[in-house]
Amino acid sequence: MLDHCSISHRGGVVLWSRSFTPEASHVASSATSPVNSLIREALIEGRTAEQKYEKDGYAVKWTFFNDLELIFVVAYQRILQLAYVDDLLTAMKALFIKLFEPFLTTFVASLHAMNTGNSTPSSKNGDTSWNFAKAFDGWDGVFDKLLKTFEDKAAQERKSRFRPQARAIQVESESPSEDDSTVPTESPDVTQDEQQIARNVQALKNRLRGRGGRHGGRVAPRADSGASGPNSESESGKRKTKSKTQRKWGDEVPTESDMATLDFSLDKPDAGMDGRLASDLRSLVDSASLGTRTKDGLYEVKDWDFGNNGDASVIAKALTREASQRSTSSLGALGSLFARLTGSKVLTEQDLKPVLEGMKQHLMKKNVAKEIADKVCESVGEGLVGKKVGGFQTTSNTVRSALSASLTSILTPKTSTDLLLSIRTKLSSPSQRRVPYSITFVGVNGVGKSTNLSKVCFWLIQNNLRVLIAACDTFRSGAVEQLRVHVRNLSMLGVDGATDSKGRVELFEKGYGKDAAAIAKEAIAHAKENGFDVVLIDTAGRMQDNEPLMRALAKLVTVNSPDKILFVGEALVGNEAVDQLTKFDRALRDFSSASSGKSRGIDGMLVTKWDTVDDKVGAALSMTYVTGQPIIFVGCGQTYTDLRQLRVDSVVQAILSD
Amino acid sequence: MVSATPEILPLVGSLSTKTFTLLSVAAAVIIFFAVTLLARAKSNSRGHSVLLVGPPDAGKTAIFSSLVYHQALPSHSSLQINCAHVVLPPSKTLRIVDVPGHPRIRDQFREHLRIAKAIVFVVDASTVSRNAPAVAEHLHHVLHAIASLPPSQPTPKVLVLAHKADLVKAGASSSSVTEVAISRVRTVLERELEKRRASQTGGVGVESMDAESESELGGLECGGTARGGFKFSEWDGGEVDFIGTWVEVGEKNGDQDGLRELKDWLEQLIR
Repeated sequence: MLDHCSISHRGGVVLWSRSFTPEASHVASSATSPVNSLIREALIEGRTAEQKYEKDGYAVKWTFFNDLELIFVVAYQRILQLAYVDDLLTAMKALFIKLFEPFLTTFVASLHAMNTGNSTPSSKNGDTSWNFAKAFDGWDGVFDKLLKTFEDKAAQERKSRFRPQARAIQVESESPSEDDSTVPTESPDVTQDEQQIARNVQALKNRLRGRGGRHGGRVAPRADSGASGPNSESESGKRKTKSKTQRKWGDEVPTESDMATLDFSLDKPDAGMDGRLASDLRSLVDSASLGTRTKDGLYEVKDWDFGNNGDASVIAKALTREASQRSTSSLGALGSLFARLTGSKVLTEQDLKPVLEGMKQHLMKKNVAKEIADKVCESVGEGLVGKKVGGFQTTSNTVRSALSASLTSILTPKTSTDLLLSIRTKLSSPSQRRVPYSITFVGVNGVGKSTNLSKVCFWLIQNNLRVLIAACDTFRSGAVEQLRVHVRNLSMLGVDGATDSKGRVELFEKGYGKDAAAIAKEAIAHAKENGFDVVLIDTAGRMQDNEPLMRALAKLVTVNSPDKILFVGEALVGNEAVDQLTKFDRALRDFSSASSGKSRGIDGMLVTKWDTVDDKVGAALSMTYVTGQPIIFVGCGQTYTDLRQLRVDSVVQAILSD
Repeated sequence: MVSATPEILPLVGSLSTKTFTLLSVAAAVIIFFAVTLLARAKSNSRGHSVLLVGPPDAGKTAIFSSLVYHQALPSHSSLQINCAHVVLPPSKTLRIVDVPGHPRIRDQFREHLRIAKAIVFVVDASTVSRNAPAVAEHLHHVLHAIASLPPSQPTPKVLVLAHKADLVKAGASSSSVTEVAISRVRTVLERELEKRRASQTGGVGVESMDAESESELGGLECGGTARGGFKFSEWDGGEVDFIGTWVEVGEKNGDQDGLRELKDWLEQLIR
């Protein structure tokens, strides 16, 4: 039931792979194989903390062996719920390493040929011929056996789950003795007391009246529940063994027992009342939370225990426990020092945990959102467990360099951030008749959309482009006037020795209270007619939870299909960044794909108010991690020239500095 | 009291004869080692390293494994650098460094640029027209890094490899498959690089956050720019060669014919 398995090296070479269907083998050798997508989208971006990746109907699970830099991947159809894949991966890893360790060590060593000693490695390579097919000879058979044991175990578990369910269905089909359709099976020696006779007479009358919907209705649900039993694996059979009591509708004469239960008169002798009261009393008061009595006999309430708030104290307790445990580990401090000097110390999870915890706290101090700091530290830890660290490098240094590499890879853009190039490419393409390039600015309230829009406009004017600003913020009072003042200022600033820039920038507005999508559409048409190069669309600020406003934004995007959607966020935001960006992205993708079928998300980000945070720049990391899109500009002031480009190494340095 | 001063003199005397000679010999040995280490480091810096760079899915790891292990192993996107030594027939060794092509981790080639003798930019000739802007951006970064090397270091030679030439449809022309691939790669790259160069000159860039570092990507200057258009033959940074190659990923053991031109070029490099 698996589709594809592969064992490969982190440098790209695939050591062994197997496809179980011809379609999977065809896909696996192309560039869009599940392994390739996993690496490109999850591993390189450091999203390894989630441990599951899904793409194109495939679910992919993986594991690492960091000492030999190997990756083990298993891909299967997403709709199947296979429980044995994790165990298969661990077993595969253990067996493969055990069987082929010497070959793998030489292979990995050959991929890291250092500059020293040019002669010796080359002679070794010339002698040994690398026959990979022969090296992994027995592995196919071993893997087949392994897979078969796991599949058999899973099949057996499923069969054992089915057997009690089958028995339950048998019981159920016999129980409907009150159903009229099984009247002939009634045993003749049933107690014939008065109520029974009356009930039988009533039942006969109902039957003669005809099969009502009530009884028919009662048959159908039971048939459904019987049929759906075997299909649901997760439902336990234990629930079905309880016999269902027939519901009493009000059309029958009440029996004696019914009369007893329906009697609520007060003078009934209730022997069990006291017992019931005693149990109620016990449930009213929790003896563990009773307060204390002072010397004067006053009863004082117990103090509120900040149990949930004691995260820091819990971590401190865990760290001290870890530290004391570390000292009593098998190697001991001196032993581990010797191991490190000889280059054979292997990093374990216990070694890494306190260091990663410290790193996480450091990241959070730098204003990185808590979940992001968690995930980043976890993925760094996963990539380091089992690695050999040697020389005079301490554990914290290794973790720090790995963390720095991971942060650099998260912050480096994967698409081009050159806005001018994209604009010029679009304007010079001969197919479209001078359709202007449109950029939409979205974000929550008060982050600086209009201010930074005017900064971007100034930059575009400096590059000899004609800009039209569309005032699609029709809600906030003063939004249109604000843009008018900006346009007036920009017209007064000259470019290339000219005294002013009249005609280079204009404002397109239709007042307040109108539909933003319609204004944007008219603005783009106006720009097309009058030869403007770029249209900047300013939208109203909206909270990410506000569904009608998000729908309105998605409608603007669908109707006008802007070339770039820039999310404007401020650098001061902390944990809120994660929530804002995920909800904005999700809302845009869902609502825009519902209508036109082409889902648009956020294409880039603009981080504002950078000058208010000196080196607590973690918001940049949180924002790029959540969306995967690059930060195109950084706003650091309120004048027109306060627009900068992000430099990845300086941000990483600022985050990791103390 | 009179005997105090003569006691000091013999001490100094003993120092001067025995330990001074020992110290001077030790110092000479240390200086000798330091000089040899420095000399070796300098000779290593010139090095015989060849970098394999290029956009993702171009075939760099396949070429690497074909040169090192004499068989093209199946591969997927690389996550880290591979480097190995390769013996070329007249018993000369070359160190080949395969750098991953993913945009987030491709900047690792800069660390190896200082010791590189040549840079091979691998392009997938069959899909170059489709993702031309991304390929051109990558090449731009590489050319800019080369152009910004300090003049004391010898400029590495640049080779553009039109790879996967066997997947290129030759069309009606009678020229060989590699020539078609080379010409296609050359025209597409020149067109895209010209667009990049035009969008940068005559424009005002946005400064980067710390004002001292340069934010603009240069490196595409050509001699004789009056004629317009970026041409590899006129590039200021050095010579750019073009070769077409292909590799068959499979179980075949033995020399791959498709890489013959690349191997010839590499041999010519060390000579």
